Amino acid sequence: MAKTEKLLVCCGTGCIANGAYDVADALEAEIKSRGLDVNVELKVERTGCSGECEAGPIVRLMPRDTMYYKVKPKDAADIIDSLEGEAVQRLLYREGKGKDAKYFEHMQDNPFYAKQHKIVLKDVGVIDPLSLDAYKAVGGYEGLEKALKMTPDEIITEVEKSGLRGKGGAGFPTGRKWRTAAGYDNFPKYIVCNGDEGDPGAFMDGSTMEGSPHAVIEGMIIGALAIGAETGVLYIRDEYALARDHIQHAIDDAYKAGILGDSIMGTDHKLDLSIVRGGGAFVCGESTALMNSIEGKVGEPRPKYIRSVQSGLFEQPTVLNNVESLASIPTILRLGGDEYAKVGTEKSKGTKVFAMVGKVKHTGLVEVPMGTTLRTLIYDIGGGIIGDRPFKAIQTGGPSGGCIPEDLLDLPVDFDTLKEYGAMMGSGGMIVMDDRSCMVEVARYYIDFLCEESCGKCTPCREGLRQMRAILTDICEGRGKEGDIELLERLGHTLEDASLCALGRTAPNPVLTTIKFFRDEYEAHIKEHRCPAGVCAALTSFKIDADKCTGCGLCSRSCPTDAISGEKKEAHVIDTSKCIACGSCREACNFDAIMTEGR
Amino acid sequence: MAKTYEITIDGKKCTCEHGEYIWDVAHRNGIKIPALCRHDAFGDHRACCRICLVEVEIKGRRKVVTSCVYPIECECDIYTKSEKVLEERSVVMALLAARSPESEKIQGMAKRMEADTGFERLIKLDNEKCILCGLCVQACNALGTGAISTVNRGTDKEVSTPYDKENISCIGCLSCANVCPTGSIAFEEDAESRTIWNKKFELVKCEKCGEVIGTKESYEFAKKDAKDDNDALVCDACKKKAIADELAATYRLA
Repeated sequence: MAKTEKLLVCCGTGCIANGAYDVADALEAEIKSRGLDVNVELKVERTGCSGECEAGPIVRLMPRDTMYYKVKPKDAADIIDSLEGEAVQRLLYREGKGKDAKYFEHMQDNPFYAKQHKIVLKDVGVIDPLSLDAYKAVGGYEGLEKALKMTPDEIITEVEKSGLRGKGGAGFPTGRKWRTAAGYDNFPKYIVCNGDEGDPGAFMDGSTMEGSPHAVIEGMIIGALAIGAETGVLYIRDEYALARDHIQHAIDDAYKAGILGDSIMGTDHKLDLSIVRGGGAFVCGESTALMNSIEGKVGEPRPKYIRSVQSGLFEQPTVLNNVESLASIPTILRLGGDEYAKVGTEKSKGTKVFAMVGKVKHTGLVEVPMGTTLRTLIYDIGGGIIGDRPFKAIQTGGPSGGCIPEDLLDLPVDFDTLKEYGAMMGSGGMIVMDDRSCMVEVARYYIDFLCEESCGKCTPCREGLRQMRAILTDICEGRGKEGDIELLERLGHTLEDASLCALGRTAPNPVLTTIKFFRDEYEAHIKEHRCPAGVCAALTSFKIDADKCTGCGLCSRSCPTDAISGEKKEAHVIDTSKCIACGSCREACNFDAIMTEGR
Repeated sequence: MAKTYEITIDGKKCTCEHGEYIWDVAHRNGIKIPALCRHDAFGDHRACCRICLVEVEIKGRRKVVTSCVYPIECECDIYTKSEKVLEERSVVMALLAARSPESEKIQGMAKRMEADTGFERLIKLDNEKCILCGLCVQACNALGTGAISTVNRGTDKEVSTPYDKENISCIGCLSCANVCPTGSIAFEEDAESRTIWNKKFELVKCEKCGEVIGTKESYEFAKKDAKDDNDALVCDACKKKAIADELAATYRLA
């Protein structure tokens, strides 16, 4: 067994919340207390997110590549015991239960990682994000060194060859954007990084900034060289405290090392980078609202029909790229655009990072080649649905995206294919839902979110969303009327055309896609006063199937209103006069004995 | 000279210069496009009411745009009354009508655009006149006081002073109320004072005729930029009369 030289402790936001710092401290203390033998230099490095957030904190022994999951400080002694011997089985990745359980020791064996292809995340979870040397040791800033020997035109040509498209969701070709900006002779020009990731359930950009801040900075420097900018701004949402700290740390280190400032790596090129903290508005992820926010104005989109590359920040030519796009740039320069373009599909090159959450067994951050099917993502990487329940829908692209049903799961995920079906890939948020998710309620949730997060400037978005929320709430609460579905569609189509910015134009997607793919569920709510998923309390009553009930009592203990009674080992009953239809009993039951029906 | 284009609006041939807004060209040619948040006094338009939607066809491709801020930069055909435009405009109008049930102007417009039927399901706000067009904010900023702004976001957006408090910047000039298309900015006035945006102002009167000139603050504000250093508190009408009297005296007309 190879000697362990390094212990990597994942210190992404998720793992920290699960106690990763305590684990790292415990491991360090254990190593110290044993006064470990001088031949082995042990080092605990605190890395960025390893991806499988739900199973954190994750500890990885290197170079033997043993990965431990859900590590607690009390596991430290066993882990140190295993440095040169057998792995600690209980901490390994496991599939199946009991006798059939399979254990996976190495990252590449683990099905969660096996089908991934890491470019943006290649260093995330592997290197110490606070160390410039660590980044350089894995090829960091080599792309920049190459770029410094190239003309702007050559840099842009390389990016064009890579086929890179804006990974914030819009999919605009990055090379073309840079070329347009480079063509203006109007100085100063700006390069801006959009780190205002605001989709509920999305954490791709946050984890990238936390785990590999120098990659984002290197991408920005290369972009600045290409377009002729000497000032850059990273707009980072204020909730991302750790990402902000790591980026600031990396900026400071880059200045000290002469990578930023008046002379980039000893050349005549200049670039100053600074962070602007977002004010916490979802709409500030929209390009022109973001620029208004940086300028200190109200975060509302600008109504002008003029592109930011021509007149953006302070009305100067501005390139705005998303974190993930910028973090792809160093690899494109280092390996060449052609090499990058080998990954992905014909029109969507490279990889895409997804934050996969919801009712899937293995949640977390995954990076796959463009064109990977949703089925691969959910079943091969995600391990399928929790409790092996039936899959119902996957929500992609956050509030601007749509819900995709089972029969579209074999579609390749890229910028264009899902759009043809009325959904979109979006920025990379993915929420997996099982048969116990009500699609009307899901639509209502997103519209409610947007009612609060729309800037409220234009009529269709502000008033249209207000009305859609009211109608959806009525449907969920049993007050739906004939004609509601058609009115929702009518409002939705107007929002798509008439809204001022992309947020408003995509806001009806959650409603329009759920109507398109799950119309029968809307109709069941309105016409039959029934919520097929058993979620909407006003339209659902619960009953216990006496044949299936084993009388274990789990349901009665979980019931908040003491509505369930019954003798031990005998079928229980629900007192409907006390039941509030919260569904806790159904969640608790291991025997599928809780049935739902309409009211 | 700027480049010019031959375009059509609803089939009518029109000529325009590069960068002119569709709305402006249409009106010059007698084609009326409704608009609520657009005001001739301002060069920049907020383009937020979305009533002035039209369709533009360029090289066979049609898209819906906001005519008040869409610059014409090539030959194109514009449709202000296509089926799509009328449908979407009536939905937007119905949304505004549901928002501002107390505004007669909005209710009248909705009726004319046939946006009063088929939308009975929409919920109406209580006692609301404001359509959040933002002209009041624009006027206040243009004047240089910046006392009011839109606050909050999403469905909670409204126009107010910071924290709904009395604002030292407000001069009580009524520009906001005068520019408001729906008359939704409330103010109270008696012989001696005016109250607007939670602030009470003392009114100043003409030394000659006794007519109200405005608030003390607005008079001081206007005087700051005026070249006239005559300290006398005189209303416009009396000033004009004084000049006329002087002229008459000069030419011995009296």
